[in-house]
Amino acid sequence: MLRQPLTRALALSPSRVAPLAARKFAAQADKVEVFIDDKPVYVPPGTTVLQAAAEIGVEIPRFCYHERLAVAGNCRMCLVEVEKSPKPVAACAMPVMKGMRVKTNSDLTRKAREGVMEFLLVNHPLDCPICDQGGECDLQDQSMAFGSDKSRFTDIHFSGKRAVEDKDVGPLIKTIMTRCIHCTRCIRFASEVAGVDDFGTTGRGTDMQVGTYVEKMFLSELSGNIIDLCPVGALTSKPYSFAARPWETRRIDSVDVLDPLGSNIVVATRTNEVLRILPRTNEEINEEWLSDKSRFACDGLKRQRLVTPMIADSRGNLTPVEWEEAIVAAATALRDCPPDKLLVVGGDLADAESLVALKDLANRLGSEAVCTEHYFPLDGAGTDLRSSYLLNTKIANVEDADFVLLIGTNVRFEAPLLNARIRKAFIHKETDVALIGPKVDLTYEYTHVGDSASIVKDLATGTSSHEVLKRLENSKRPVVILGADQLKTSEGPALLAYTQELALSLQDKLENKEWKVLNVLQRTASQVAAMDLGYKPGVGEMLQKGPKVVFMLGADAGVITRENLPKDCVVIYQGHHGDAGASIADIVLAGAAYTEKNGTYVNAEGRAQQTLPAVTPPGKAREDWKIIRALSEVVGARLPYDNLEEVRARLAEVCPSMVSYGDVQNNNYFAQARALAQSLQKPVSGTLDVQLKQLEDFFMTDSISRASPTMAKCVQAVIKQKQSPY
Amino acid sequence: MSARQAIQVGTKTVKPVLSVTQGEARLRVLSLYKAWYRQIPYIVKDFDIPKSEEQCRAKLKEMFLRNKDVTDIRVIDILVIKGQMELKESVNVWKQKGHIMAYFKPTEEPKPKDFLSKFFSGVE
Amino acid sequence: MAGALARIIHGSKNQLGFVGPLVTVNNGSVRFQQTKTSFGPLADSDRIFTNLYGRHDWRLRGALQRGDWYKTKDIILKGTDWIVNELKTSGLRGRGGAGFPTGMKWSFMNKPSDGRPKYLVVNADEGEPGTCKDREIMRHDPHKLVEGCLIAGAAMGAQAAYIYIRGEFYNEASNLQVAIAEAYQAGLIGKNACGSGYNFDVFVHRGAGAYICGEETALIESIEGKQGKPRLKPPFPADVGLFGCPTTVNNVETIAVSPTICRRGGSWFASFGRPRNSGTKLFNISGHVNTPCTVEEEMSIPLKELIERHAGGVCGGWDNLLAIIPGGSSTPLIPKDVCETAIMDFDGLVAVQTSLGTAAIIVMDKSTDIVKAIARLIMFYKHESCGQCTPCREGVSWMNKIIYRFVEGNASPKEIDMLWEISKQIEGHTICALGDGAAWPVQGLIRHFRPELERRMAAYAAAHGPSLAERLY
Repeated sequence: MLRQPLTRALALSPSRVAPLAARKFAAQADKVEVFIDDKPVYVPPGTTVLQAAAEIGVEIPRFCYHERLAVAGNCRMCLVEVEKSPKPVAACAMPVMKGMRVKTNSDLTRKAREGVMEFLLVNHPLDCPICDQGGECDLQDQSMAFGSDKSRFTDIHFSGKRAVEDKDVGPLIKTIMTRCIHCTRCIRFASEVAGVDDFGTTGRGTDMQVGTYVEKMFLSELSGNIIDLCPVGALTSKPYSFAARPWETRRIDSVDVLDPLGSNIVVATRTNEVLRILPRTNEEINEEWLSDKSRFACDGLKRQRLVTPMIADSRGNLTPVEWEEAIVAAATALRDCPPDKLLVVGGDLADAESLVALKDLANRLGSEAVCTEHYFPLDGAGTDLRSSYLLNTKIANVEDADFVLLIGTNVRFEAPLLNARIRKAFIHKETDVALIGPKVDLTYEYTHVGDSASIVKDLATGTSSHEVLKRLENSKRPVVILGADQLKTSEGPALLAYTQELALSLQDKLENKEWKVLNVLQRTASQVAAMDLGYKPGVGEMLQKGPKVVFMLGADAGVITRENLPKDCVVIYQGHHGDAGASIADIVLAGAAYTEKNGTYVNAEGRAQQTLPAVTPPGKAREDWKIIRALSEVVGARLPYDNLEEVRARLAEVCPSMVSYGDVQNNNYFAQARALAQSLQKPVSGTLDVQLKQLEDFFMTDSISRASPTMAKCVQAVIKQKQSPY
Repeated sequence: MSARQAIQVGTKTVKPVLSVTQGEARLRVLSLYKAWYRQIPYIVKDFDIPKSEEQCRAKLKEMFLRNKDVTDIRVIDILVIKGQMELKESVNVWKQKGHIMAYFKPTEEPKPKDFLSKFFSGVE
Repeated sequence: MAGALARIIHGSKNQLGFVGPLVTVNNGSVRFQQTKTSFGPLADSDRIFTNLYGRHDWRLRGALQRGDWYKTKDIILKGTDWIVNELKTSGLRGRGGAGFPTGMKWSFMNKPSDGRPKYLVVNADEGEPGTCKDREIMRHDPHKLVEGCLIAGAAMGAQAAYIYIRGEFYNEASNLQVAIAEAYQAGLIGKNACGSGYNFDVFVHRGAGAYICGEETALIESIEGKQGKPRLKPPFPADVGLFGCPTTVNNVETIAVSPTICRRGGSWFASFGRPRNSGTKLFNISGHVNTPCTVEEEMSIPLKELIERHAGGVCGGWDNLLAIIPGGSSTPLIPKDVCETAIMDFDGLVAVQTSLGTAAIIVMDKSTDIVKAIARLIMFYKHESCGQCTPCREGVSWMNKIIYRFVEGNASPKEIDMLWEISKQIEGHTICALGDGAAWPVQGLIRHFRPELERRMAAYAAAHGPSLAERLY
């Protein structure tokens, strides 16, 4: 670890923390005037020269500086001339001073840059033609812009260049350490954001190497981000290696659906094939990070796909058929089914368009049994009030919290980037964290209160003697996050009621009336949209009735199995992967994955976002809402929308917020939800457990990641790493 | 006389293209047909098209019969002239294989209009 | 490590506008307020380090006999301002190489406290090749250092002093530890130090022998248990230093002379040497001299006199002199003709384009392979570069490659200018001063021995044909 994350002791220094804390609170301070290339700019004190220059659009070249990481100041590329300073100063680390005159394009500055660039290239292999970073390489770009036009490295004829042994850091990241320019971004990311102190430097001077000290996998759920951070080709993506050049790919902005946060992504495609997924900056959600599952599971989109509709033949084997045949078979099954024996299940990855179409169809057929796989208590306010099932604090606001209480959730694996936010708050802002639930590694220290559900009751009723209660009561911006998985048990309603009671009683006492305390963290990308649309969470009740036809829209969580269905039940599965759902189906309708359709997804904070089609669905697969629309016509209950606009108009009818993309609305009616939940506060005695405890549990959680060979390799590698003595 | 006059009036007002009488026009059509008919073996050979002579003859007949209801002499003449031009292009191999095969192009199916047929045909 | 600060201070000198006789020093002409015209030799009564050669007892009893710990309590009770003022009067400049005025440095620590403790750190990581003054102090007069720590600590209100001692100095660390233990037992430091009511602890931290840990921020990192890699400045250690608290880092000699300055008065100390270069100084004379030694002498003593008087002259006589490195390995060398008139103080050496550094004089006679000697120094810097910042990491190893080719002459004469430019690209572009220290010897070599370099290249080309390096030109 070259430069530790600003330790809590260091946080006392206002000058160093100011840029990090500048997000909101530094604005009150008086601004100082500085001159960048003789243009005046007013910035708050503590701003660095580089940031001040960026304010007026002057880009200073840099390698080691990254706005979301601590300042290292070691690449020296950002040297600029400052009047009255004998030496050029590092713009990334130098705080502005009043009246400072910076020259970003003077001879001295240019000469300094050229010199640094020459030094960087002395030991950098010029293997751009075989380097995966080619075309998106900072060193390449900046050497064109700021480097010398000729080489004078005569020693290439004598001693050549430095060669460094490559490191093995797991199945996701390919290292070619000879290309490393020692900017230490990866080290700082690992220790600050990912919370894994395995990266560091060994050796000194020209023998300095970046790596894990012993050969070790980079055990983090955010490891892929160091690929983006690396300014050169030292760290590249292993699954994507030698696959394509950046200028060959089409980039389509989209939204990730493999966790409930809806991280913004860019899908890079070529010849109708998803090659890789990169994060897209969205300060409200994922900043510019992306979890490994979201990034690397994209090769699962090419495996195990349902490319054609299928019908089970007389021996029970699914055989490919034409769409007419499959639709007619499905329509027949639906028409012959008594309305009360029809069960419709929406799955983890379903988009809102297909969910609303399916619900409309079921309602037209007279069925109200429209469910999701994951349960949520319907007692009290149930899903009527959005505040009961959303992250009300909002992801970005979590970093302003001063106390975070996690109840029955392993945020690190359920929503890795939310955990990164909590960690950011923990490191930079003295935020403390407490956890009720099994002891897991969250990458930061927390107070483990216990794993018994009764602790929540004690906290809510104020009878707890634990210090956490005092901390919560004294905190100005507390956050309570409840894992939705805990609500599946029979004690779920009571647990939710107590959590609401606890959070809302804290919220009422706050000075800041805008601050929201209560959060429920859903597990899947579709759950919020489904509940918004009026899906009933959980299938248990309906299963007991013994349905005759089950229509599963990508329901692969394994909640419905052949064992808990009647023998003669017809299972219609619509989805994109041959997974748990398709394996029990009688009729399979081939749908499209999230990269192949224009779909609406609502993330855990209630923010509607849309995916855009990056590639066409494989084979005969079709967009999901169209399948349902076609089926409705054949079944004789024609749905009144023929194109996407009309479907979205219907969505807006049901839930207007669902088509205002990118926005999130503030939730209210907390008091009403609390009042309705009062009667549910029954004694609880269970223990809270989470599904994803270890890193190996994280990688394969849905039909796409289960089909991904890369994710399978990750699981293997993690298990292998755990057996290693290091 | 009166009929003749009428024709004269017609011919005066409407300038003939080639033929003056219906019979003359018919002769021109028939001779064009014969010329094509005799050229067919050479067309099949020269252009190396995947059609037999019989198919070509059938196509020839079909295309002539397509205009069987045309009665206007001037229209017939124009059609004959166009036919002769086509023939000359074929004889001199100014045309290419694709042009010949275009005679055999099947008729286009109408595009599906309603949602369901669009869905089944995979259009959209 | 010779810091770049020396040059900044030099630049501000003209603004002081002293009027006085004009002293012409080689190629630079500088005005000084001159009250004395000759410097040295130092009278025995004026020596601060009276047990420099270990002829007497180094332990507490001997130290007390030599006057250490005499009225220390009174000095502390005179208060912070008095001590700092006395240091300012004395004109003491940091003895570690950069030559920053000590009184001013200590006064930075007297800002209103924000609740954080303050620390004094003593830099005893004496790693500069040629330098051997701090070790003499620590093994033969450790109580001077311990007492100095207490007084410096009192002057800045520090809670504790950390003495970061070089790992190789085993015996010195041992003696120092004994001295500290004695001082604790005698109640001189610790709780209620010397009965002054002031609590002060002294800790010894042994390094692991990295040269870079002599840089103040790298030293702080090292004490904190991290890799010894320099921090960015700002924030300066006086703001955020050891464990995030205000810290002052001083050289051993600076600290060790401060009790005597306080006892005998700042003006006594200021009476030695030229203005702004006042005081006495330990000079280390090594290399091709008849009697290499460490000697305390008055500042501003002419270089030639220093060598002739204390080191028994250059081997083979003054005319056998080739060049001298006057301030430790990181300062540029000066050839014989410059040595004739060079004056051993901060300004005198800056005037001849070198630096006083740690005043470690390395004498090289005509038997020296000067290129190889400098190449060996560059190899040392290449080995000791921490690798954190680009110009030093890549540049110094590149210079090392080039200069070793220069040793045998396997290079193009055009590469001499290239090497000069590379050294200029390193100098001033790095986080700490190690890059500067590596660039200066090369610059000194090119400045004064260019014909020698060209001669070697011509000889090589005559014997082996043109060098491969010609290819690029």
